[in-house]
Amino acid sequence: MKRTRFLIGAVAGLSVAANLDNLFGRALAQPILPGLPGGADDRVLVVINMQGGNDGLNTIVPHGMPQYYKYRPTLGIAPGDVLQIDKQLGFNPAMTSLKGMFDAGNVAVVQGAGYPGPDHSHFRSTEIWQTAEPEHYESTGWVGRFLDSADLPKDNLFNAVALSPVLPEVMIGRRVDVPAIAALQGFGLSSDRNATERGVFASIDRGGSMPFSSPYLATVATIEDHAQRGSQELPKLIAGYKTDASYPATPLGRSLALAAQIVGSRLGTRVIYVQHGSFDTHAAQKGTQDRLLREFSDALKAFYDDLAAHGNDKRTLTLTFSEFGRRVAENASRGTDHGEAAPLFLVGGGLKGGVYGSHPSLDDLDNGDVKYTVDFRSVYATVIEKWFARPTAGVLAGSFPTLTMLA
Amino acid sequence: MATSPSSFRPAGSLPSAPVAAYDGPWNARLAAHLLRRAGFGGSPSDVAHYAAMSAADAVTALVRFPSTASYPEPQLTDDTASEMALAMMARAAGPNDAELMQRRQQQKEIRKQQNVANVTWWLNRMLVTPAPLQEKMTLFLHGHFATAGNTKGIYGLDIVEQNELLRRYALGNWRELTHYVARDRAMLKWLDNARSLKAHPNENFARELMELFTLGVGNYTEQDVRESARAFTGFTFARRTGEFYFNAAQHDDGSKTFLGRTGNFNGDDIVDILFQQPAASKLYATKLLEFFVYTDPEPELVDEFSALIRKNDFNMAPVISTLLRSKVFYSDRAYRALVKSPVEFVVGTYQLFGVTEIQPAVIGALNRMGQVPFHPPSVKGWDGGAQWLNTQTMLARENFASSLMGAPEMMQSKSWLTDGVPRSAGEASQKLAGTILQGDASPSSLADLQSYLDGRGTSTNTALSGENFEERMRGAAYLTMAMPAYQLS
Repeated sequence: MKRTRFLIGAVAGLSVAANLDNLFGRALAQPILPGLPGGADDRVLVVINMQGGNDGLNTIVPHGMPQYYKYRPTLGIAPGDVLQIDKQLGFNPAMTSLKGMFDAGNVAVVQGAGYPGPDHSHFRSTEIWQTAEPEHYESTGWVGRFLDSADLPKDNLFNAVALSPVLPEVMIGRRVDVPAIAALQGFGLSSDRNATERGVFASIDRGGSMPFSSPYLATVATIEDHAQRGSQELPKLIAGYKTDASYPATPLGRSLALAAQIVGSRLGTRVIYVQHGSFDTHAAQKGTQDRLLREFSDALKAFYDDLAAHGNDKRTLTLTFSEFGRRVAENASRGTDHGEAAPLFLVGGGLKGGVYGSHPSLDDLDNGDVKYTVDFRSVYATVIEKWFARPTAGVLAGSFPTLTMLA
Repeated sequence: MATSPSSFRPAGSLPSAPVAAYDGPWNARLAAHLLRRAGFGGSPSDVAHYAAMSAADAVTALVRFPSTASYPEPQLTDDTASEMALAMMARAAGPNDAELMQRRQQQKEIRKQQNVANVTWWLNRMLVTPAPLQEKMTLFLHGHFATAGNTKGIYGLDIVEQNELLRRYALGNWRELTHYVARDRAMLKWLDNARSLKAHPNENFARELMELFTLGVGNYTEQDVRESARAFTGFTFARRTGEFYFNAAQHDDGSKTFLGRTGNFNGDDIVDILFQQPAASKLYATKLLEFFVYTDPEPELVDEFSALIRKNDFNMAPVISTLLRSKVFYSDRAYRALVKSPVEFVVGTYQLFGVTEIQPAVIGALNRMGQVPFHPPSVKGWDGGAQWLNTQTMLARENFASSLMGAPEMMQSKSWLTDGVPRSAGEASQKLAGTILQGDASPSSLADLQSYLDGRGTSTNTALSGENFEERMRGAAYLTMAMPAYQLS
């Protein structure tokens, strides 16, 4: 808790008087973060939020269902174009990379993921997927609660990271502090560019005897320490990672490249959040969705190639989610409106690939939307219990049957 | 968060007669405490002004605020007429109408600009208002009846009109306010009541009215939600004027059984019944204490304020006045016992340094800190407290302070930061800690500050002088704002 007053003291001890700017790097004075690196068999979960509501029917295409073409006169993807899984289903033609990974047994498709009482607001439904609480308002995310319950090293600043400009609700817990990092360059104190302020900032005593007491004082001091130390340490901790991987020059490609670097640097990181989108295709859907699915599929392929080259593909599981699927019938603008259930993906070298759950019926709709066939909390339960070997108590409200793609 | 205790209630126990008027010494430190809680912090001269009064007079000055009705509404680039024109166009257009799509794109851009104008408008109003308590209560009520703009059809001035309603009732009767909130256009859109039909009542508003606005979970049943949703059918607004309108044709006028009573209730009856429940005054007492005094207040304290609210029949001026004068409010346990919200942090910092206008770019910083007015994360509002604190939000706070200190042109030319401050590192560091933190810094951090001002540990190693004074004071002010006390209210 108490800040190590290393700077001024250390400088005095070294009797160095001139050009001290070079000595302000905290690594010189700060011991390596305790609790690092993590054990070799540490498993990592990468959560990709496909923001905006991805149209499930044109992602995993039910080309064997004639009703699909009836509802999608212009947006329907012809059976000959679909990357066929079988006589019923196939991938969107933009997803050749992911189809290749599927054929290699590294992709599990979960059909009809959703929840009871579906909400059609981006806002609320995103919150429901992140908090895993469809019935009431909850201020912590399911990953945040998992991290809280997982007994992780308290001193590790990187137990989880969000590769996003703002910390998403899914990563918010009560005890574990997760840094949000949009890009390495922006993660830090702007005053770090000023060597003098940087040095004194690090030395400012945040503990000590205060002339007041506050129930929040210890927490504030800890978080300030994390902010300052974390932003200084991360670039150094991951600098040793070398890769030949080539990622698509897209925001998702850059995020996943950083994710692979973090995974490969073995910081003890258990969960990484990444976002991609926006899939909110009310009009002219085809161009937008195909581009986003291609970016997703190609970036994921590069990610797993990179991970595999470093022996990390089997310890890294990727889970996608999107706040909802879209209306079965296309609208007048060659787009689709907010719907309900949709497929999601689990990807990784450590799972049994295939199609899980049953495709929702196109004959039995809920006001024009497909009804969910798999409660998404079953997917979360599978990740918590099978991937992390942890109980779901305290993380998910209620018990949910697990799926079988993970042993 | 990393070391979160299970409760953030301050240590120690409740003193006797906690609601009685505070009669201890009055000074700048307590005046600053009052201004942070009942306003946004104010300038150093505001603190001196209130410190020169008595505690009772200071509270009276805040509660009996001048009228701010003449403050102009935001100047928007467009109005709701264009929304209506777009809706009509959409109804008339055929499939794949290129013009419609283009118009939609344009409208999206207009809405974005309107949204920025609305948020900036309120932030500036908080910054310059002569009635800080009015704005603070409005912020409280916005978090309570949390509604987001630029979504669910809430465009143009919809959210601003709701904001004006909350401001009108800042210290008014909150039962009456709730009747108006149930009629508010933004709320009717936000929680879908505008579309609630007799044949298919939408339960969204009815549920949140009980769960979040009046009673809290556990004080009503699902049956009560369904029955009150029926009572609120017909509460909608006229498309053409945007005014509230009771659509009798869509109102379910059958008998309802609600919280143990049976009758042909409408929405107004539901609100009145809710405010008769003991849970309602308890919920308001708890939320007010958590907003103004400290987290997780003792049940005895909640009960005292709950009784006070009931005694005043939900007229809030006397309740807030009593709260701001109370012993518990000025107790050591309440002092620095709350985390500043991002809005308090930003507006308060600008007031402290005499910045007179908030630019739209600040919205990005507020977003990284976790709070943008008119954009609550959900209808539940902001949780506050420990939820404000994580690595991301802390970096955003520190970078905000750093960028302000790097932009001296934003501050008034005559500033307490340099004017009349002795060119001595010792006195200058005392001045900074005194003005920014009311002295709430540890001796060791004051020593660090003094070293910095003296040039120790810098490349130039030069002592404080007329030449480097201003720049070094700004650097030291940033470092002072990075100290823990500045994150706390």
